[in-house]
Amino acid sequence: MSASTLNTTSNLWKQVRKTVANWTTVRRIMSVLLFLLAWTILVQFTGQFHQIPTPAAVFAALFQLKLGVIFTEIFRSFVRVLCGFLLGLLIGFPIGVAIGYSRIANYLLFPAVEMVRPIPPIAWIPLTVLFFINIESQIVFLTFYGAFFPIVYNTMGGISEVDIRLPRAAMSFGINRMGMLWKIILPAAMPQIFTGMKVAIGITWLMVVAAEMIASKGGLGYWVWYHHTVMEYPMVILGMGIIGLCGALCSVGIDVIGSHFMKWRNIF
Amino acid sequence: MVDSNHKGEVVFENVTRAVQTKKTETIILDHCSFVIESGKLTVLIGPSGCGKTTIINLIAGYEKPDRGKVLIDGKPVAGPDRERLVAFQETALFPWLTCYDNVMFGPLATKVMTREEAHEQAINLLEKVGLGDFLYKYPMQLSGGMMRRAELARALINRPTVMLMDEPFRGLDAMTRELMQEYYLRLVEESHGTHLFVTSEIEEAIFLADRLIIMTNKPSRVKHALDIDLPRPRIASVLRSKRYLELKALTLEILHEEAVKASMASGKADIAIDSGLRT
Repeated sequence: MSASTLNTTSNLWKQVRKTVANWTTVRRIMSVLLFLLAWTILVQFTGQFHQIPTPAAVFAALFQLKLGVIFTEIFRSFVRVLCGFLLGLLIGFPIGVAIGYSRIANYLLFPAVEMVRPIPPIAWIPLTVLFFINIESQIVFLTFYGAFFPIVYNTMGGISEVDIRLPRAAMSFGINRMGMLWKIILPAAMPQIFTGMKVAIGITWLMVVAAEMIASKGGLGYWVWYHHTVMEYPMVILGMGIIGLCGALCSVGIDVIGSHFMKWRNIF
Repeated sequence: MVDSNHKGEVVFENVTRAVQTKKTETIILDHCSFVIESGKLTVLIGPSGCGKTTIINLIAGYEKPDRGKVLIDGKPVAGPDRERLVAFQETALFPWLTCYDNVMFGPLATKVMTREEAHEQAINLLEKVGLGDFLYKYPMQLSGGMMRRAELARALINRPTVMLMDEPFRGLDAMTRELMQEYYLRLVEESHGTHLFVTSEIEEAIFLADRLIIMTNKPSRVKHALDIDLPRPRIASVLRSKRYLELKALTLEILHEEAVKASMASGKADIAIDSGLRT
């Protein structure tokens, strides 16, 4: 080996040391390992939790997973989440804009919104049976409901917290009312609108799982509940993990869309 | 001499402006009268919290007087207008637009000039304020001083008859501030518009001004108006001239009186009135 290749390999190693194989990474990996260790110890050495599967058992269950079945369930839940979320956005966003932008709309809508909002979405489950006969509609309604308020609230809040100097400046430049909304207010409120969407998609997953556990109409929530009834607990935990992954994926999705709309925010 | 064709004379006639809260009413301006002559750079100086920003807002049309009149060339102010533009405290550039798009915003909002004309002027102005290499940067990528210059360009491209500067260089370090003042003077001396510059810095005020208006403490009125007869174009060496020092001493004396009154009124400090700058 010549001296120069030796040099480049050592440089490469330096790069690796700097970016990947450093103490920060080691500590992060340790965090995960410690969690799994604590879980194992708790299950192995306490009488209380001995029925709970160990991480190893859950990992083993991964290989018994019927891919066709699990992907069907994932797909079902995803469709429900997306339908509910998009409905929430379609209805919640204009209402949020109206409340934030127009004083009259604020007086007309805000008290009603404020009255209903404190009710936890799950408390609506019994009533949805009266709204819709179709079970699929019931589930989508509940997911929609979960998404609705975070979107309304954050859109409204984002608009009312716009720095007054920005619309004032735009007013002096002679912009009209529509231009003010589209070119000033909405771009300025965009960061908080996306925060609202991120909160909303999280609650949407919460609602879809709760609804599916009750409705017995397929989906990840149902899948987890089914394995609970047949006492296959490694599968239950695996299902929980998959639900978590799906939620995280949606959250990242919102971030990606957000950074596309707000290029000015991720320039560093 | 000021050309008689110049517009942009601002007159305050007995203007009173108060802010109501639930229990109290704070009078900010009390029967305040003064004239801002057209085509000149008038600097408004006064103790902090004396309602300087309120005066800017009244001229810009963001606020209305409770009593009295604010007249522009004889007509009362009806609302915000591109004839009267503000460079805000700190800066209020639109953070989602690039430097260039911020400057293009005014011309495109009203379509008073074609895109090509606006483009040419935007590039020209941005180069003049030293941002030629930063056209497509977002405000967050610029330094404090650059943002102030971009904001100046954003307003000036609209050729306002009255340019309102609300402590535009506040919070900048001394070196940057000095540089900004020079950029600004160069632009003013070319533009011939009416400029109102609000500040609480005496050196800045005297260095920039054609005319200096000194405000009293709240409720504010005009305490004194001074013509600053330093030669133009102003360069930094003016700061060492005898006349400058005289004007500065005079201004300090007048302001000191107000500062003492202010601190007595707020009860925050008890300064011996006899001490201080009077000699």
